[in-house]
Amino acid sequence: MVNVTDHELVPDHELLDDPEAVEEVLAEYNVSKTDLPRIKRTDPALPDEAEPGDVVKIVRESRTTDQAIVYRLVIS
Amino acid sequence: MSMQTPKQLGGISFGLMDPETYRDMSATKVITADTYDDDGYPIDMGLMDPRLGVIDPGLECRTCGSHSGSCNGHFGHIELAAPVIHVGFTKLIRRLLRSTCRECGRLALEEHEREEFSDRYERARELGDDQTDVLKAAVRQARKASTCPFCGEPQADIKHEKPTTYYEVQDVLSGEYSERIAEAMQPDPDDEDDTGTTPSELADETGIALDRINDIMAGEFRPRDEDRRAIERALDVDLTEEDMNKLMPSDVRDWFEDIPDGDLEVLGIDAENSRPEWMILTVLPVPPVTTRPSITLDNGQRSEDDLTHKLVDIIRINQRFMENREAGAPQLIIEDLWELLQYHVTTFIDNEISGTPPARHRSGRPLKTLSQRLKGKEGRFRGSLSGKRVNFSARTVISPDPTLSLNEVGVPDRVATEMTQTLNVTERNVEEARQYVHNGPEAHPGANYVRRPDGRRLKVTEKNCEELAEKVEEGWEVNRHLIDGDIVIFNRQPSLHRMSIMAHEVVVMPYKTFRLNTTVCPPYNADFDGDEMNMHALQNEEARAEARVLMRVQEQILSPRFGENIIGAIQDHISGTYLLTHTNPEFTETQALDLLRATRVDELPEPDGIDDDGTEYWTGRSLFSELLPDDLELEFTSSTGDDVVIENGQLVEGTIDEDAVGAFGGDVVDTITKVYSETRARVFINEVAALAMRAIMHFGFSIGIDDESIPPEAEEQVDEAIDNAYDHIEELIETYEAGELESLPGRTVDETLEMKIMQTLGKARDSAGEIADQHFGDDNPAVVMARSGARGSMLNLTQMAGCVGQQAVRGERINRGYEDRTLSHYQPNDLSAEAHGFVENSYRAGLTPREFFFHAMGGREGLVDTAVRTSKSGYLQRRLINALSELEAQYDGSVRDTSGTVVQFEFGEDGTSPIKVSSSEDNDIEVDRIADRVLTAEFEDDAEKEEFLGRKQRPTNISEHAGPGLNKAQGLGVDSDD
Ligand SMILES: [Mg+2]
Ligand SMILES: [Zn+2]
Ligand SMILES: [Zn+2]
Repeated sequence: MVNVTDHELVPDHELLDDPEAVEEVLAEYNVSKTDLPRIKRTDPALPDEAEPGDVVKIVRESRTTDQAIVYRLVIS
Repeated sequence: MSMQTPKQLGGISFGLMDPETYRDMSATKVITADTYDDDGYPIDMGLMDPRLGVIDPGLECRTCGSHSGSCNGHFGHIELAAPVIHVGFTKLIRRLLRSTCRECGRLALEEHEREEFSDRYERARELGDDQTDVLKAAVRQARKASTCPFCGEPQADIKHEKPTTYYEVQDVLSGEYSERIAEAMQPDPDDEDDTGTTPSELADETGIALDRINDIMAGEFRPRDEDRRAIERALDVDLTEEDMNKLMPSDVRDWFEDIPDGDLEVLGIDAENSRPEWMILTVLPVPPVTTRPSITLDNGQRSEDDLTHKLVDIIRINQRFMENREAGAPQLIIEDLWELLQYHVTTFIDNEISGTPPARHRSGRPLKTLSQRLKGKEGRFRGSLSGKRVNFSARTVISPDPTLSLNEVGVPDRVATEMTQTLNVTERNVEEARQYVHNGPEAHPGANYVRRPDGRRLKVTEKNCEELAEKVEEGWEVNRHLIDGDIVIFNRQPSLHRMSIMAHEVVVMPYKTFRLNTTVCPPYNADFDGDEMNMHALQNEEARAEARVLMRVQEQILSPRFGENIIGAIQDHISGTYLLTHTNPEFTETQALDLLRATRVDELPEPDGIDDDGTEYWTGRSLFSELLPDDLELEFTSSTGDDVVIENGQLVEGTIDEDAVGAFGGDVVDTITKVYSETRARVFINEVAALAMRAIMHFGFSIGIDDESIPPEAEEQVDEAIDNAYDHIEELIETYEAGELESLPGRTVDETLEMKIMQTLGKARDSAGEIADQHFGDDNPAVVMARSGARGSMLNLTQMAGCVGQQAVRGERINRGYEDRTLSHYQPNDLSAEAHGFVENSYRAGLTPREFFFHAMGGREGLVDTAVRTSKSGYLQRRLINALSELEAQYDGSVRDTSGTVVQFEFGEDGTSPIKVSSSEDNDIEVDRIADRVLTAEFEDDAEKEEFLGRKQRPTNISEHAGPGLNKAQGLGVDSDD
């Protein structure tokens, strides 16, 4: 089976499992979890242990900035 | 009235309306279907009852006492003789019927299921997902229950016959039950062991008494449900048939009244504001007369609004219904009338329901009822609220005026005298204001209205203007005409991007067209073949200030689409600068001054040399350099192909063409805009255009048919090249017909042949082009235009002088027409170039009739493509705009929608605006150039360093019309500056 997370075009999806880290992100943007963009639990790019309600940090390579960081809320 | 306190809307709550509320807010009950009596007075309790508001001037509203114009109208109501379904809610009615118990009204869900759906609602609300999805899921789940979990009543399936009829589908005992039992008891003829079933065996198996079985088999006794199921099980037969029991609206209403509030909450319905039985109408609100005014025709007859017609129908049927019911008419008649009432109420709400014939006017035109007023492009939302016609706007044909600045627009005097700006009279402008009023409404800078401090508006007329002018004092308002320097908004549809609407400064001119500088054609995508544009005069200081600072043309030189300039030299301007700089010609003093006379430059630089006669001369490049900022440093390759070097604001070498000064990323314009300022760029573009026009007029520039002719020997060469191609194709065809053609990978032999023929013909045309090209001088106007990028391409030239080439439809040679051939002139299956649309002639030589025909086929495809593309992209554009319209970049750099959901954490991932970043194909961001500049600044004095740190305010030029001596009104017949 192909593991899509190994593909060079799939950016890193890192689970924020520390609640404080999540709080920090939410505080930085002054939003609640539900205001974040979403990602389906079933998305193959997600780490297996991601559960609905978790927040993932996605680090993309960018043409204009070295890295673009995006946070997403895992939904069912 | 004008001093009302502004109020803020806290929110809007949508829900169903209680019939009691209808009655409470009703000004009157409507019982008569008539409108006016013979004397023309509205009939009491009729559809035009004066309590519903007034439309005739002079009459007084009997509810609020005001006259027409100030009374908004008041609702009335009709008491319906029987309840009817509201068509707007048929889906929800169906869902509720399917998910609730027919007996007790409870939602057929177990406790744990209720909790689950309540949770899902909560989540959908939090995440902003569609809540109807949860409703649908809950209904699907509840529908599965065959019996009610609360009272045990078996549940029937609900059938919905569109639009407004509902049936309960029940399995009931079939009329032929005895026959079916008898048949099932017979032995199976295909099975020898099967001896059938005797009545006593059946009695044993089902536990029904034998004589009862016999009665049943004789058809004398109808088995009850339990017995029926036992027999069905024993004999493996189906004794039922479907029975459709129509649910009358009154049944539905009774059913819904039983649904408890708590159960509705599980379905996401707020029972407080929307009880489901309110979806069945018992009272019909009658809209105020002001929403359905009647018009008096020329012949004095009144013509009623469509809604009134529909209400007349409803009241008539309603009355007939009541009369029939009181007279004890048969059920059948009552039901027919009930359906008719339902039809009229349905079409009153929506007259475009599939499956229902639309209600029509006497003339056969379908009536425009409530839904039709709201829906669609011309409906209330899209037609009247999102987009509406406005005052202070003008539209006319546009034409070019190279003497205007690109910031300006020429406004016809008859437009300027019609559109006004409000002048608040103060001690400093009272004389000016009086002058405007004094000039009256017809003389140009005049005034059309004045407003006194007490709020009264007076029209300025030719008769009263002089008298009125003396009365004007501080505190008055004068609506004066548009004058030079006023800011207006200018727009050309389709407004596809930001630069389709820009602010211009007015220059009042004679004649009837709007005049533009030709350099602003690209952002508007305008030309002068009859294009029209719109102008809007701004009506308050805030709007005018925003327009000046944000919307003025010079602020839009850089396009956010590709980050480079979209305004710049076009067409003739580019030919002009090319002629001026390509061969670097020499000019005498007179000539040089003439070239520069439309620019700021009034002193020539040091001459470039002295010619043989001893007269000084200036070169084209140094004249062009006069327009450049003194310290500009730039190097790039021009579209002509030579290297352009600008040192210290002097064009040292190279041709100034499209890549230097053109719209769509001309390097010089782009750099000046980014490094210097928008104002400097505006000055530069204006002057380049002016200089180029002078230059092209100096040299003279024209094109004619002889400019595309080539010598006979060249023509022979072209013919030879084409003949060679023909020979090659003939060989190919022979190989193909011999079956020896080898197919290319992934292609059939047929496709390979086609490809090779196309290739050969393509090459033939190219070589014809090259041959023709060799015979054109560098000064050929078509060549000049193609090389400089002004207009046209070398391909156009090839087609004019060499050979038009292969015509294509859908990317292939022309293959359509007759069976196995394109035209009846050819043999069937002729594969030659000629028979499939190769045009060997040039446009100048002229096409043969057959070539012309093929050419028209190819040309048609192009036209159709454009037409299809514009309509498709228009719709795409609309959807994209609607999807993105409320996204907003926040102060923290993120992009969010109106509910605060993050769309991008950093605008465009990098937080930069495309027009603030300089980039090219080789360098993503031109770091080198920026670093260079920063370093040079480092070694210079502090003031320059500050500029690079962005602390120096660029001088803003807000208007080209400010300054002494430019005030038109006071300038009228008054002394001059000196
Ligand atoms: Mg046009
Ligand atoms: Zn009123
Ligand atoms: Zn029940």
